Amino acid sequence: MRYARRAITILALTALAVTTGCSVEKDGGDSGTDASAQCGSGKEFLIGMSQANNAEPYRQVMNDDVSTAAKAVPGFQVVVSDAAQDNSKQVADVENFLSQGINLLIISPNEAKPLTGVVKKAYDQGIPVIVLDRKVEGDAYTAFIGGDNVAIGKAAGEYYAKTLLPQGGKVVEISGLPGSTPAAERAQGFREGIASNPKIEIVATQTAEWLREKGQSVMDAMLKAQPDIDAVYAHNDPMAEGAYLAAKAAGKETAIKFTGIDALPVASGGIKAVEQGRLQATFQYATGGREAIDLAKKILVDCTKDVPKSTTLGTLQITKDNAAQAYTELGGKQ
Amino acid sequence: MNSPNPTTVAASPPETPPRRRAIRLPKDRQAIVDNFFRFQSLFGLVAVFLIAIAVSPSRNGENVFLSSGNLANIVRAVSEIGIIAVGMTFVILIGGIDLSVGAVLGLAAVGSATLMVDSGLGIVPTVLIVLFIGTAFGATQGAIVARLGIQSFIVTLAGLQAARGIARMWSGGLGIPIAYGEGPQEAPEAFSLLSGSINGVLPVPALIFLAIGVGALLVLRSTAFARHVYAIGGNEKAARLSGVPVRRVRVTVFAISGLLAALAGIIHAGQLNQGSPNDGAGYELDAIAAVVIGGTSLAGGSGSMGGTIAGALLLGILNNILALNNIDANVQLVVKGLVIVAAAALQRLRPRIA
Amino acid sequence: MTDRPLVRMTGIGKRFGGVHACRDIDLTVTAGEVHALLGENGAGKSTLINVLSGVITEHDGTIEVDGEPVSFAGPADAQRAGIATIHQELDLVAGLSIAENMFLGREPRTRLGTVDIRRMRRQAEAHLRTLGADLDPRRLVGSLRVGEQQLVEIGRALSLRARVLIMDEPTAALADAEVERLFATITELRRAGVGIVYISHRMAEIELIADRVTVLRNGTVAGSVDPRVASRDDIIQLMVGRSVDALFGEGRNEPGAVLLDVRGLAVTPRRPVPGRTEPAGVDLTVRSGEIVGLAGLMGAGRTELLETLFGAGGSGRRAGQVTIGDRPYRPSGPRAALARGVAFVPEDRRGAGLMLEHSVADNVVLSALSSLTTLGLVRRPLLRRTVAEQLTTLAVKAASPSIPVATLSGGNQQKIVFAKQLLMRPRLLLLDEPTRGVDIGAKAEIYHLLHRLADSGMAILLASSELPELLSLCDRVVVLHRGRTVAVLPRASATQQAILAAANGDDVKESR
Repeated sequence: MRYARRAITILALTALAVTTGCSVEKDGGDSGTDASAQCGSGKEFLIGMSQANNAEPYRQVMNDDVSTAAKAVPGFQVVVSDAAQDNSKQVADVENFLSQGINLLIISPNEAKPLTGVVKKAYDQGIPVIVLDRKVEGDAYTAFIGGDNVAIGKAAGEYYAKTLLPQGGKVVEISGLPGSTPAAERAQGFREGIASNPKIEIVATQTAEWLREKGQSVMDAMLKAQPDIDAVYAHNDPMAEGAYLAAKAAGKETAIKFTGIDALPVASGGIKAVEQGRLQATFQYATGGREAIDLAKKILVDCTKDVPKSTTLGTLQITKDNAAQAYTELGGKQ
Repeated sequence: MNSPNPTTVAASPPETPPRRRAIRLPKDRQAIVDNFFRFQSLFGLVAVFLIAIAVSPSRNGENVFLSSGNLANIVRAVSEIGIIAVGMTFVILIGGIDLSVGAVLGLAAVGSATLMVDSGLGIVPTVLIVLFIGTAFGATQGAIVARLGIQSFIVTLAGLQAARGIARMWSGGLGIPIAYGEGPQEAPEAFSLLSGSINGVLPVPALIFLAIGVGALLVLRSTAFARHVYAIGGNEKAARLSGVPVRRVRVTVFAISGLLAALAGIIHAGQLNQGSPNDGAGYELDAIAAVVIGGTSLAGGSGSMGGTIAGALLLGILNNILALNNIDANVQLVVKGLVIVAAAALQRLRPRIA
Repeated sequence: MTDRPLVRMTGIGKRFGGVHACRDIDLTVTAGEVHALLGENGAGKSTLINVLSGVITEHDGTIEVDGEPVSFAGPADAQRAGIATIHQELDLVAGLSIAENMFLGREPRTRLGTVDIRRMRRQAEAHLRTLGADLDPRRLVGSLRVGEQQLVEIGRALSLRARVLIMDEPTAALADAEVERLFATITELRRAGVGIVYISHRMAEIELIADRVTVLRNGTVAGSVDPRVASRDDIIQLMVGRSVDALFGEGRNEPGAVLLDVRGLAVTPRRPVPGRTEPAGVDLTVRSGEIVGLAGLMGAGRTELLETLFGAGGSGRRAGQVTIGDRPYRPSGPRAALARGVAFVPEDRRGAGLMLEHSVADNVVLSALSSLTTLGLVRRPLLRRTVAEQLTTLAVKAASPSIPVATLSGGNQQKIVFAKQLLMRPRLLLLDEPTRGVDIGAKAEIYHLLHRLADSGMAILLASSELPELLSLCDRVVVLHRGRTVAVLPRASATQQAILAAANGDDVKESR
């Protein structure tokens, strides 16, 4: 059909002409915008917290940590935006913060590369930027605070080697989203940690994409394929809980030991699961929210010029012994 | 007994009075009302714009919303959804739906990144290949809808999964970062102009959206193709019996939707310097929302491109002003939902033919 | 028969915006009478019926049932007062059984609260017997013929103890044999003291069964007459406000060469569709300048034959030969058919002929778009001119070419379908029930149009279930029975009896 082909051609050509033809300039930072307000005590400061995805409990806890810590600092006001896992949305969120004239940006980027530009834009305007949990590229930011997943994985591995399975045994691994850095690092660290005990054998690795329901279905399958599993190493608590449910359905929940990672101080989190005996242990992956506000206070109120470029957060091993105490200390609500 | 007796659900003989609650006024005022509904989304856009100015915070005495930087942010932010919504409008006009656009956008973003970074292609071949992939994907879905008579909802739902799967396989499940330069594993510098703006004012993606929008407006206004599109949406059987090449138009419409989704994907990659297989998740719903707010009927056969463009801008302004006022992210979602329902409700009030 | 009215409507009026749909209408229905309601489309019949059946709740005037003033808050109220409506398009659920349909929404319950299927079935059976219908109440309504479905609707009205039954064009979808059966049912109902409001366009029917005729025109009562006394012309004059002398034109040119020649046409569908009768041995010829009628009962395959000839029929293996002019003809679809000069006016004008919400102009030009464009762009001035010409030629009454087709009367809508197809300048025009649901004035105009077209050399093949229409319009009548040609009756020997006999499959000698 002539016209139909023509319609497509017109659209395609327009698109081409516009994508390739025109000469345009790259966006630099907005010129002439004022840098952050002068630091000092007794002033009002607006802090923008750009969150990648509120729907993840871990990130919700991070928001709560930031908000709670900020309340304790006079003059701090925090606004939170949610990018709902969309890079474009997070870029727009930061742009909106800049329009509003924030004094400091805390960002937990959805992905590194797409957000590097807008973080640099803020930084170039003189706004201090604290990057949480996931990095951006380059060094156009003030400070990075994040956990060390290799170290956490290693801590878990050592717990297996020394405490959980000193006699050795068969372990299945339920891993996070394939290709994601935390999943790779938690896997790597674990292998380093169990290296000291050669009798521990990882008999299967399956992904459950961080999801509780997938953890359950993956475990269902593995219970059929692997008759005698001694322990389940899950890359996060929800997957460990899912695996526990599957084992329970098969009547094997007491024979198998489960561990997770994250240890969120919420009712559905891993700490409670340990306290209630479903999980043997979980390893805290700190949100860095409180540390971020501490840093912000140093920059804005105390006028510290020299803050550490990178802060690595430690982990906390949570077992039945310290679960209740840790829950309270980490700010969990009863 | 909650099912009404069916005799009450009367069929409508030729002269049945309008059963919907419609606004009826004396003749001279009726014209005003008619035109209000015709340009509903435009009025809505102006209204939201004015409200945004009114409630915008100000900074150093300047209205933050009206600052040129902020307005540029708005048009930049809506451009991808806007371009997709233009294609979606064609599909919805024939009474279909295209759920695959967000996934095709992701596929196109991955394609752009891979072809330039890994395969070392230049911009022009990359853009052509990616646009071709999007068009072919759309056309294939259209052909399945037209040939097998499966509802487009189902076909494009399957297409959504397929496009995501292909994008994941192609990229190895990871976002492919785009670095610029002359060397291997680097994309031509010019591609990054997609994140630039003209004279520092009009963002390039917004310009492309504008061009596509105007082009589509003209196509819909004055081509025989557009009349066939409206006819199929109005009454497919009548269109077929009148000699309208229904299948061909269907395939074309889905091809256009795929083409524009791919174009949006290229822009996406250029703006974010990355092509990730998860890009564009949920964009199809935002695009549908823009079309609906624009006054296009999901039943097909009636609607306008101008409405869709206005609808996309309206959503963008709404997002922006809510964010500028620090409205909680969850409340923002609720407000957007209410606006969509309000737009649809206005459609119901629209004067109907008896 | 008593004279006390079951229903008395006084001074009924209803306005939509500034327009009076009806004004100051009085109507009474007494027990055991058939009260026919006539009027052109737009005369206010439907509005009046909607008031009586409780669909329209806000109106002027009063309604009394059994002498008591009532006010209906909705259709359910009207039903409780004993007023039931059988709509033209039946309100049945195809996927449910007869019994389930009859008791939909008020199913009898057992003590446990579950549906009492046995009681439901028993009662349904009883109602069907009253109507003389021998149907198993367990059958699915979707598998019934239209006439049978109508009986189910009437049965439901009876189960509601309806005393006033409103029937809106009940014969529109029925073949003649089924009409007779319906009339027998109506006679039964009348004897039982049910008052019937009967709406129809068909004069012959009204003369046959109505006790009283009320004619509406422009929303008011134009007159109320006794059909046994008043002549047909009197009634028509009341309806249209002027006298319609000759409804059917006379005097025709000699036909020309054979244009359409069909021999042994049969289609074996890949998947048989219930309710469709594909051609199974059709022979017929149409010369240019000739009008040939297609007669047959419901399910004889008239529509399917026309669709096959237009390339719009069911898919399947084809046998036989079709030629147009001298060349073989095997259309791949409507587009190809139109290109060969074959046009089709479908029976279901709202469902298959028009885009109701779109403008008159958009509908008129849809088929001929390619001749109105340059490089795919529509030439607006040419389009406007073309539309205006067509509307004038066909005397379409429309305020403007930009108003939606749905606002036109049935007759004018049908003219739009004609206009669309005639723009293609066809050599062969296939018509399926072209005057169904069209008022008498527009009917006459369509007949004149057909004569004019035939005189200009067009070949016309016309399917109709109105025998008088076929007899007076056509040069020849081809009778189908179960998809086969069973008789070809030339004008001279075609009578209602002959056609009906052939249509029922009785042995009729071909008299070609």
